[in-house]
Amino acid sequence: MFPSKTQKPLVEVRGLSVDMPLAGGKDGLRIVDNIDFSIAVGERVALVGESGSGKSVTARAVMRLDPVARLSGKIDFEGRDLLTLSEKEMRHYRGSSIAMVFQDPMSFLDPLMTIGDQVAETLRIRGIGRVEARKRALSVLDELGVDRAAERLGSYPHEFSGGMRQRVVLAMALVGEPKLLIADEPTTALDVRVQDQVLDLLDDVSTRRGLAVLFITHDLGVVAGFAERVMVMYSGRIVEDGDVHAVFKDPKHPYTRGLIRAVPRIDQDLEELYAIPGAPPAPMARPAGCPFNPRCSDAFDRCRAELPAVLPVTGERVACHLHDRKGA
Amino acid sequence: MTTVSAMSGAPRRRRLALSPFDTAVIVLVCVLLLAAVFGPFFAPDSIYTSDIANSLMPPSAANWFGTDDQGRDVFWRLVAGARTTLLSSFLVVTLYSLIGVTIATVAAAGPRWLDEALMRLTDIGLALPSMIVALGFAAAMGPSLKSAIIAMAITGWPTTARLLRGIMRQTMESQFVAGAQVLGVSRWRLMTKHVLPNSLDVLIVKWAGDIGNTVLVLASLSFIGVGAQPPSPEWGATIAGARGYVSTAWWTVVMPGAAVAITSIAFGLLGDIIQVRRDPSLGGN
Amino acid sequence: MLLTVDRINKSYSSFPNPPVQVLHDVSFSLAPGQALGLVGESGSGKSTIAKCLMALAAPESGSILYDGMDVSKARGAELLRFRREVQMVFQDPYGSLNPRMSVEELIGEGLLVHKLEPTAARRRERVAEIMRTVGLNPDDMVRFPRSFSGGQRQRIAIARALVIGPRILVCDEPVAALDVSVQAQVINLLRDMQRKLGLAIVFIAHDLAVVRHLCDSIVVLHKGRVVEAGPRADIFERPREAYTQALLAAVPVPDPEIGRARRERRHVLT
Repeated sequence: MFPSKTQKPLVEVRGLSVDMPLAGGKDGLRIVDNIDFSIAVGERVALVGESGSGKSVTARAVMRLDPVARLSGKIDFEGRDLLTLSEKEMRHYRGSSIAMVFQDPMSFLDPLMTIGDQVAETLRIRGIGRVEARKRALSVLDELGVDRAAERLGSYPHEFSGGMRQRVVLAMALVGEPKLLIADEPTTALDVRVQDQVLDLLDDVSTRRGLAVLFITHDLGVVAGFAERVMVMYSGRIVEDGDVHAVFKDPKHPYTRGLIRAVPRIDQDLEELYAIPGAPPAPMARPAGCPFNPRCSDAFDRCRAELPAVLPVTGERVACHLHDRKGA
Repeated sequence: MTTVSAMSGAPRRRRLALSPFDTAVIVLVCVLLLAAVFGPFFAPDSIYTSDIANSLMPPSAANWFGTDDQGRDVFWRLVAGARTTLLSSFLVVTLYSLIGVTIATVAAAGPRWLDEALMRLTDIGLALPSMIVALGFAAAMGPSLKSAIIAMAITGWPTTARLLRGIMRQTMESQFVAGAQVLGVSRWRLMTKHVLPNSLDVLIVKWAGDIGNTVLVLASLSFIGVGAQPPSPEWGATIAGARGYVSTAWWTVVMPGAAVAITSIAFGLLGDIIQVRRDPSLGGN
Repeated sequence: MLLTVDRINKSYSSFPNPPVQVLHDVSFSLAPGQALGLVGESGSGKSTIAKCLMALAAPESGSILYDGMDVSKARGAELLRFRREVQMVFQDPYGSLNPRMSVEELIGEGLLVHKLEPTAARRRERVAEIMRTVGLNPDDMVRFPRSFSGGQRQRIAIARALVIGPRILVCDEPVAALDVSVQAQVINLLRDMQRKLGLAIVFIAHDLAVVRHLCDSIVVLHKGRVVEAGPRADIFERPREAYTQALLAAVPVPDPEIGRARRERRHVLT
């Protein structure tokens, strides 16, 4: 829905909802509630939110990774709705068109398999020959700045540091030449200096390959340094979506505004941090109306009664009654 | 500073649905417990007297499981024996659990040399076949149900001690235990208030399985003559009393044998059911 | 000085590997009412320092002096006084509270252990009072930790530490596990408490931005050594050591203009 400046959308998500079944209960728990967004070819988009906001579930839904999750809506990827594909067709998309990296690289590496074999495996599954697969694995590892990559193809994951493991996992994701990379908090577990290197790397690769990136994070600093566009999620909905410069300069949603003011800064002394009162609601205890209303200092009657729609506001999309009133 | 309240909707405790088989096991255990508690009130007095005219009658409408060599009803003797068997097993498990908990706590709390010493003692206890040791104890004290119970209580603790000491060591690594130490709580309070209550879960699972096992061992001891003595309706003693009639009157041996087997298995399965329900990784709590 | 750490060394051995030295001659000191930040990446030894500071582990050489007492040698009544006057808040709000104790028991435990309030009724009053101070509702004291969110649990942990009136509060990554919006609440609370109670704080963290906000002086650690130490302004505005400079440069800033510019500059350099 958000018009990208230059290119046609690579992914277009319409009315996506994700329900997780509850043990014993018939009704699922709605984790993601009717969200729309799109990502253009080569675009770097950050999806920010706190725990329970549904950001990771959204990312996994695009890959259809949770077999028990009930997905509804549409996820158009280059004109095909991913939700209508069979599991077998979906497997074809995973890795070759859409790839994903996660917070904990170790859980995605087989400790008993060499790095070279693991990176090449994505290609081997697609019927590419041993020699060719190895060659391409090597070139990707090289591209990702793994020193002496040729020598290290025979190494095992435990011989690598955390940052290097994350590079290997990135190589596994990128060797199939995907068009979209979904990165779910890939730098959260890393030390700042390593995080910085990995972000630089992602930045380079994305620019060089024209790779679109959906970057899931809770860290606004990472968003500001990496993304072109930011989508803010709260309690299962996208509450603000806009150009990263515009959102940081003039956040439209009170939640976004509060979040930005709540982050301590390395580059300035702040007298007092702004603290949003309360805590994000659990998915089973969402308040009526706007889910943010109990924590919002600007809330009025309508906020407590009616869920705000996502509406265009000066080049952004915002779900807040404050802006609806001004617009009307 | 704003005041925040506790979350109104604490996540509901999730329960796993019971399968029909699980339900059957639980019903069976309940029936056994009810029989042990109330059975003796309903049992006819004739099960303690002999009626030679009616001896070794096969199962019939009047005597569901037939009669034994003394003409006593096998079914009602089993019901009466359930109390002796189950009550004794509960007593045995409770006693050795207490010993095990004490040894585990002292080992986990104490200095390293004491821990080492107690664990070596436990190793010795684990290495010795408890049945043989119990046999020796019971023989030395004179064969009776009481000696069998005491013998089993003082030989049964090593598995409990070993298991619990391991769990307690693990619990002692928790942050809240470090927190209590930092607060300056005494060693005694640390163990009884913080470590032990957060380690005992595992014993609840073990308890049910242990009952099943004890029923079997106790019946075995009685069978070989060092536990309950005939004419007690205790199941092992009953089998021992009837073993001469296996070929002529199978029911006198098979019925009490089946009672021992079914009870033992039922409690063992109950342990598994509780375990699944308490293990967070399996979705219980 | 209230607390003086003097050239402590510590190593861990895990058989069959050779022992690894995790602290090398670490020294720093803390004045009454001061907020000191210990920052470092993983493997910097900051958690080991916390353990030594709290007398949960003893350094192999060097000393930690608190108000004239050698912390690692304190026993009995002396150790109990140390425990009363030096308290700690842990990182994990889910693991640091005994799940089987009510909030009243948790917060009141220190009063009981140190025999500060003889009657249960007085203890309850004190618990209610401190709960109000840290922004909790005293009606919730009958509840158990599982019914509280991460931020509220951290408030309980802070109340539990503060109720016995310590002079030093050691905080080991107290906000690292919290959401951004809740993190600010806890940081503000710690700052309020420090000012209101004249509390000295040792704040151990990997997040330099949080440390900048909360601490007057900073000790930068790297691989078990003190790399640089000094007042906040010196460390953040005029870092001398290359390591400190690299660390500061890597911290993301929530401002796209600055973030972009920094990244571009780096690309030109490499």
